[in-house]
Amino acid sequence: MSLAADAFVSQMAAAEPWPESATLYQPLKEDQILLSDCASSLAVQAYLRMCSLPVQVVCKANAEYMSPSGKIPFIHVGNQVVSELGPIVQFTKAKGHSLSDGLDDVQRAEMKAYMELVNNMLLTAELYIQWCDDATAAEISRPRYSSPYSWPLSNILAYQKQWEVRRKMNAIGWGGKTLEQVYEDVSQCCQALSQRLGTQPYFFNKQPTELDALVFGHLFTILTTRLTSTELAERIKSYSNLLSFCRRIEQNYFEGKSS
Amino acid sequence: MGTVHARSLDPLPMRGPELGVQADDIEALDIEQEPKQEVLENKDVVVQRVHIDGLGRTKEDLLTYEIAEVFRARNLIDVMRKSHEARQKLLRLGIFRKVEVVIDTSRGEDALPNGLDVTFEVTELRRMTGSYNTMVGNNEGSMVLGLKLPNVFGRAEKLTFQFSYGTKETSYGLSFFKPQPGRFERNVSINLYKVTGQFPWSSLRETDRGVSAELSFPVWKTNQTLKWEGVWRELGCLARTASFAVREESGHSLKSSLSHAMVIDTRNSSILPKKGGLFKIHQELAGYTGGDASFLKEDFEIQLNRSLFWDSVLSASLWGGLLLPIGDKPTSIADRFYLGGPTSIRGFSMYSMGPQSEGDYLGGEAYWAGGLHLYTPLPFRPGRGGFGDLFRTHFFLNAGNLCNLNYGEGPQAHLKKLAECIRWSYGLGIVLRLGNIARLELNYCIPMGVQSGDRICDGVQFGAGIRFL
Amino acid sequence: MAAPDELFCWEGDWGLPSVSTDSLVVLAYAQFAGAPLKLRKISNPWRSPSGSLPALRTNQKETLSRPSEIIIHLRKQKYNADYDLSAKEGADSLAFISLMEEKLVPALIYTFWIEPKNYVDVTRRWYAEHMPFPLNFFLPGRMQRQQLEKLRLLRGDESLEAGEELEKELYRDAAECMNLLSQRLGSHKFFFGDSPSSLDAYVFGHLAPVLKSKLPNGKLQQHLKSLDNLTNFCTNILLLYFPRDGRESSSQKTSPQPEAGDFDHVPNKRRKQFLSALVALGAMLSYALLSGMVSIQHVQREALEEPPDMQPIGSHDHEEEGDD
Repeated sequence: MSLAADAFVSQMAAAEPWPESATLYQPLKEDQILLSDCASSLAVQAYLRMCSLPVQVVCKANAEYMSPSGKIPFIHVGNQVVSELGPIVQFTKAKGHSLSDGLDDVQRAEMKAYMELVNNMLLTAELYIQWCDDATAAEISRPRYSSPYSWPLSNILAYQKQWEVRRKMNAIGWGGKTLEQVYEDVSQCCQALSQRLGTQPYFFNKQPTELDALVFGHLFTILTTRLTSTELAERIKSYSNLLSFCRRIEQNYFEGKSS
Repeated sequence: MGTVHARSLDPLPMRGPELGVQADDIEALDIEQEPKQEVLENKDVVVQRVHIDGLGRTKEDLLTYEIAEVFRARNLIDVMRKSHEARQKLLRLGIFRKVEVVIDTSRGEDALPNGLDVTFEVTELRRMTGSYNTMVGNNEGSMVLGLKLPNVFGRAEKLTFQFSYGTKETSYGLSFFKPQPGRFERNVSINLYKVTGQFPWSSLRETDRGVSAELSFPVWKTNQTLKWEGVWRELGCLARTASFAVREESGHSLKSSLSHAMVIDTRNSSILPKKGGLFKIHQELAGYTGGDASFLKEDFEIQLNRSLFWDSVLSASLWGGLLLPIGDKPTSIADRFYLGGPTSIRGFSMYSMGPQSEGDYLGGEAYWAGGLHLYTPLPFRPGRGGFGDLFRTHFFLNAGNLCNLNYGEGPQAHLKKLAECIRWSYGLGIVLRLGNIARLELNYCIPMGVQSGDRICDGVQFGAGIRFL
Repeated sequence: MAAPDELFCWEGDWGLPSVSTDSLVVLAYAQFAGAPLKLRKISNPWRSPSGSLPALRTNQKETLSRPSEIIIHLRKQKYNADYDLSAKEGADSLAFISLMEEKLVPALIYTFWIEPKNYVDVTRRWYAEHMPFPLNFFLPGRMQRQQLEKLRLLRGDESLEAGEELEKELYRDAAECMNLLSQRLGSHKFFFGDSPSSLDAYVFGHLAPVLKSKLPNGKLQQHLKSLDNLTNFCTNILLLYFPRDGRESSSQKTSPQPEAGDFDHVPNKRRKQFLSALVALGAMLSYALLSGMVSIQHVQREALEEPPDMQPIGSHDHEEEGDD
């Protein structure tokens, strides 16, 4: 979001309390949504639950095009539309809800750094596996992405998206990586997260923060999504504290309430 | 017995590759009768030969149909008349720059004493013509490049290509047109295009990439057109402040539709007609040949004109349309009807009537609009006989309504809804005629019956366009 | 011992061993880990084994391009600057490197390659001056297009253009990132303890060009200079590990050249102006002659005179007749 729009949104946001009718939009759950989008969406849902802010999840086939930045998920609150976790965190902060107020400067620096670690390594790896690995792209990603559309539009959109993601991977230097190297990177990332988490219940001891929501969104989705190979899930399962972390958040925030 | 050496048929106009001849300006064929010709008028002649000189790539068999009538002429005046008609037919093929007719007595061994040779001397259009324009409008400047290949394969096929490169959007179109040899009114046309449009009244941006195939043919007095069209439509918000209803429409969709149109046009001109009427009906069925969009769309247009005393014309027109979604998907904003503006109900802003959300107009699924105009020449008739004839004053009364169809209420309720809350306006203005295609209007309008949510353009309103209510 | 690996990297300037961030990262890490590398500082990327810089050619004739790959390779050769780090510190390294890549790199690309004044006055000029002919005509432009493309893909916006709003957004993120780095560094000499590690190499590589280059639009530089600990961190590393390059820059500074616009640097200006005017005039004249606008007539005396037998007789006759 641009700076001017940011300031405006913050002002507008501060003016009104969180309404009951807030909605979160994502692609169709059963047939369309892909791993990376599902992870991002789950992260936002977890964050909002941690803040005790009610939100209704609505699935629409054109959610990606409805979003102002083109990324999933986005929330429609009052007459504001905000997309992606970063801006959503700022938006809720402007309304007076924040999870990271109790952190000191060094901790906040670490939190932001680790969130970027997840975005830089885990999210990019998910995109790579979905679109740059031919087997996954052909079997899962393209059919799912193009399912709401009829032929030949379905093929055009799927290939267009694939080409776009591949160009991005080349630009950031992931184009030359092999699948093995990507799995290695995921392992490294999980190791770093596992190290940081240690034996604590959440990353910053007692209270969950947006970092916990983000990590949960990605790890839980990877663990529960069927891909062409289980390699990715296996790599995560080798870190037991991460598994128990996921289970803890699931139990505390997602079970017992209708999701 | 002299020879008739009709080098050129005066006083009929000779030049003009386009049919720029304004049909309504030419009264009935008026041939000067010289005393010498009076004798020959009743003389029987036989047209022995009809040549066409100057053909390059045009195939002869195409032209035999156009000139066949000339052979049937029985006397000289008939020959001249039929040659003129044949010349018109040759010109309307759009492949000749110039056509001249030479009527001479037959020469040669088998020449009859009353035999005539008719020769059409034609100049073909160049193989390829190009054009380059720049256009400025709507906060955007663009460069338009056009390429036309008339008569590509020799039988009046036409291939046109247009490319527009703008600061914001680019669009292009390729079109291939083929008439049936002998019957120009029956033709086939295939188009390929990419068009982008920005609609600030709905905060919508639309990019269409499509292909269409069209077949036209006359049936009795009407002109029928059958068309199949496949379009990939991409909708997006024009600004961040677009309403959520428009945001919900963003995305891609594919429309594959069959449509049929029927036109009966007895007017003497399409811009500012003096007499005659127009009846046009158009229907479109989408969804049965593939694609995502699925609907049935009907619309019609009626116009009647009548000349009154003192060179004034009374004109009445009626438009209407209906869009019925098939299946449970709602209609798309790109298919709905829009109403309002200087080309339909004057006094309201462009397409700013009817259902709206946060200032963005969403269009409606049913509408009707009617107009009553009285066209008179300019007061005090300045510039009569020349420039002044292009201007007309008009007094108008427009009315119409646009709404959505909410089912479960039955057609009676819909009709009632269309009849309530009618928007209407009246006023007067000046109309300028541009060639045979477009017109400019400057009106003073008073809108009435304004409903909440409509945007009006009270007072002076300027409009330019092709199709006016 | 096996022959040392060859490292191809960009030349240095402004007191830095190299002007490019990636090359700096690799150079710094190599110094920190004490890896013996044969340095080849060039300014022609086409001479590098992989077509881009930096590139490491190992003695198995393998070529590695990405800094992360090069560092992993050096680590495998037992040149490991992260040996003393605990597991948590290693995790923090990874996190902060990711932070820089997500928040700082877009701003760096913008400020060096996309911002019009900076690009034309500094970046393009540097590359054009240092690249050999004929690459200096088209390669900087191509590099700029690649960088713009990369920024567009990173931001996910195909129609991205240089502009004030974009600049504010990117610089805001970059400023926040620098603040976070500054907070993490605190008052330590290096990020983890007393000896530098790979994170230090990355931070140095990203911040040093901003600190040392003289950009007309220097908002990022100002912000960096306001963060004392980061500034000291960079100068410290330069002093300790790249003393020679620092000295070179100071020697350059003793002979300052007037930084006037491009035009004044052209040698033999007068002569070139005269020659170009002459060529233009010659072209116009020859066009006029060839197209017939101007024609030169040969005036020969013989042709102008009347045939000798006619005129004198005629005049005689006339004269005689006149006399009558």
